Amino acid sequence: MKTPDYRKAAWLTLILVLAFVAGWELYWRQQNHALSYDDDESLWASKRKLVYQSSPARPVLIGSSRIKFDLDLDTWKRLTGEKPIQLSVEGTSPRPMLTDLGNDPRFNGTVLIDVTEGLFFTPSGSFPEKGAITRVAAYPNWSLSQQISFQINRVLEANLLFLDQEKLTLNPFLNSLPIPSRPGVWGGPRFPHAFSVNLFDRQTKMTPAFVADTALQNRVKGIWAEIGAHSPKQGVDGPLLTGILNSVKQSVDRIRARGGKVLFIRTPSDGPLREAEKRMFPRALYWDRLLAYTRTPGIHFEDYPILNQYQCPEWSHLTPKDAIAFTEALLPVVQQKLESPINQRRPQRP
Amino acid sequence: MVFNSYTFVVFLAVLLVLHNLPFSWKIKKVNLLLASYLFYALWNPPFILLLWLSTVVDFYMARLISVEQRPLRRKLLLTISLVLNLGMLSYFKYGGFLLENFTALLAGVGIAFQAVKPDIILPVGISFYTFVTLSYTLDVYRRKFAPEPSFLNFALFVTFFPHLVAGPIVRPEDLIPQFKTPRRATVAQLNWGLFLLSLGLFMKVTVADGLLAETADLIFGLPFPVQALDAWTGVLAFSAQIFCDFAGYSTCAIGVSLCLGFVLPDNFRYPYAAIGFSDFWRRWHITLSTWLRDYLYVPLGGNRRGVVRTYANLMITMLLGGLWHGASWTFVAWGALHGLFLCTERLWRDWAARRRAKVAKLIEREPLISRASVISPPPLSTNFTKFGLALLTLFLINVTWVFFRAPTFGGATLLLLSMFGVIPDGAAMLSTTAILIVGLVTVGLVACHWLMRDSSLVQLSTRLPWWVLGLGWTGMLILLILTQKSSNSFIYFQF
Repeated sequence: MKTPDYRKAAWLTLILVLAFVAGWELYWRQQNHALSYDDDESLWASKRKLVYQSSPARPVLIGSSRIKFDLDLDTWKRLTGEKPIQLSVEGTSPRPMLTDLGNDPRFNGTVLIDVTEGLFFTPSGSFPEKGAITRVAAYPNWSLSQQISFQINRVLEANLLFLDQEKLTLNPFLNSLPIPSRPGVWGGPRFPHAFSVNLFDRQTKMTPAFVADTALQNRVKGIWAEIGAHSPKQGVDGPLLTGILNSVKQSVDRIRARGGKVLFIRTPSDGPLREAEKRMFPRALYWDRLLAYTRTPGIHFEDYPILNQYQCPEWSHLTPKDAIAFTEALLPVVQQKLESPINQRRPQRP
Repeated sequence: MVFNSYTFVVFLAVLLVLHNLPFSWKIKKVNLLLASYLFYALWNPPFILLLWLSTVVDFYMARLISVEQRPLRRKLLLTISLVLNLGMLSYFKYGGFLLENFTALLAGVGIAFQAVKPDIILPVGISFYTFVTLSYTLDVYRRKFAPEPSFLNFALFVTFFPHLVAGPIVRPEDLIPQFKTPRRATVAQLNWGLFLLSLGLFMKVTVADGLLAETADLIFGLPFPVQALDAWTGVLAFSAQIFCDFAGYSTCAIGVSLCLGFVLPDNFRYPYAAIGFSDFWRRWHITLSTWLRDYLYVPLGGNRRGVVRTYANLMITMLLGGLWHGASWTFVAWGALHGLFLCTERLWRDWAARRRAKVAKLIEREPLISRASVISPPPLSTNFTKFGLALLTLFLINVTWVFFRAPTFGGATLLLLSMFGVIPDGAAMLSTTAILIVGLVTVGLVACHWLMRDSSLVQLSTRLPWWVLGLGWTGMLILLILTQKSSNSFIYFQF
């Protein structure tokens, strides 16, 4: 049996792989692909670690995509000197994160909870909680090895465009093949590449290309309609809703008992999406009831003309430019609400 | 630390440099040992204490056993080692399971007993290193292996990082002799080791995690019935996923060892081309099946104590083999199914052998009449029949995987009913793309296993021109880079 020339094979492999990596990276640079960090469990865990440094000037943000787009972290930092800790996850309910913070005896900071009714008022363990549950469960097991890998990955991601897990990997390419799906099967939302980028501080931003392109914006509007078509037609009600409110109240009470502060925020949406939200989740039955039941202050964008003057190009999120103005307008209201008597209670002894 | 992480890339690079510097062999072994502890500690540092305890106790216990001549004392020393090793394994892996079943048992006889659910974390790899140390003590007890005088060699045998957390489950004779003389990989070994590492990572990251995991997770996670097509696609996805995940790990382990100049035993030999379940267990997780054979089935009496005991021994071995995989009755059911299939196959083979002997006798006595009147068992000689039997075996293996993967018996039943069309109105869940991907991977995997079933990668590589090998290697690495997933744990870590 002759021994194959492994050395030659190895050299050929090295040359071809390096050529591929260089070519692939150059191609995406030429396409002006925007740099985006993988918003995975490790990036989330790196922010979760910081919650013990939270204060009213440095709140923990939990919610879904709206607060990730709409609250500009750099603007907040410019105004307060502190950057908020962004724990929100796109397309998820913040309730598993609220439970996590409520159950953490060391946490006594400030939490701003972004409420997107269709995601917030969903039964425990349902699909919209999946992303949050995965991250919360992974955090205690975030090993030293994963933390080192995360630091190495951070450097690589900051320099190589093609390391974009969400858009430039094998699965997104396979899923974008023009293969018609089976009747009755929906493959989930497929957002255009240019829709958004994720920054290292977990800020999400629309790309300039998206802001400038109404065709892309219309595509995303179509995606919201698609999601609506595959979602329940009625918001939860009855004992299910009471159960949700109870669990939220329990966590909020726990945080406040330790001296923490809690505030709900309803960020802007408009167009037919806002109309559908109003129909499915009437304010009196959901938002107002949430505040009353949990005895917690809240900021609804429709209650403040200064917050209600923005347009969402795809009905659900603000542009980066509007996010700056929105954050500047929101901050004084947040500061005022955090001073409310319920948030001024002294911590209870355990 | 997992092989599919950036941390491991740095770790291996540093270790390769250290291993090739002109240090003494002892220093190189100390480097390897410290690196192995680091490899393990980067998961959960406190659990390294268990590893040390197991190493120290078994090293000294084996020495005492080897010098002790009195049979009772030898047995006592062996029992201490077994109690410690199996006790740790039982506490960490089966503590919660035992308590849960004890509570259920009491409730069954009308005694209300509420126990606090124990919050026990399973130390990674405990099932694997426990079996490694047990094999050493048992071999010394049986005087099959002389106790290793060097603590360094023994500690390295137990802790050597490539096999530490998910096998292959090494025996003393596999590894300890390799630590006695200086070893450094030749250029060919280094290149082949890197090729195997790339292949293992490709199997794990691209195929198991990238192409299959999502489909398998979705179907096995549903609380409602699905269409037969979706159910079968989910099961086939898991079938291919678990092979690529676990065989991928073993391939990485063998490759990494080779880069350092050490040879680990094979753990998989194209199992999805197995003809029958005994053939399957000669090809799937070989180091576990041989371990169970040598340290459980044979000591129980194997096939030497009559027909009934043989079948009972087979069942006991497979039930415990199932339980080794996880503290759940679904794993026991998986083991039981394998045991039943093995028993059935053995019955059939015995019947076929008797029948053949009878036919041969008759032909000898009355050649013409017998040839016309006696039907002999179906021949296994044609490739077509063999392939058919391999597909039948694979079909049954897939049925057993349902119990292995489903979180509960309810979930397993629901999926099986969906697979066989008993529930006709199940939901359609998978996209055409997902079904096509699973279909292509399955066909590719079965074809590859069938074509390679009597061969090996090394043999194949000798038949290929170097540039074809290089192109295949490049393809795997490019797909690996394109998949980018870097930190998913291997399925077998939880065992």
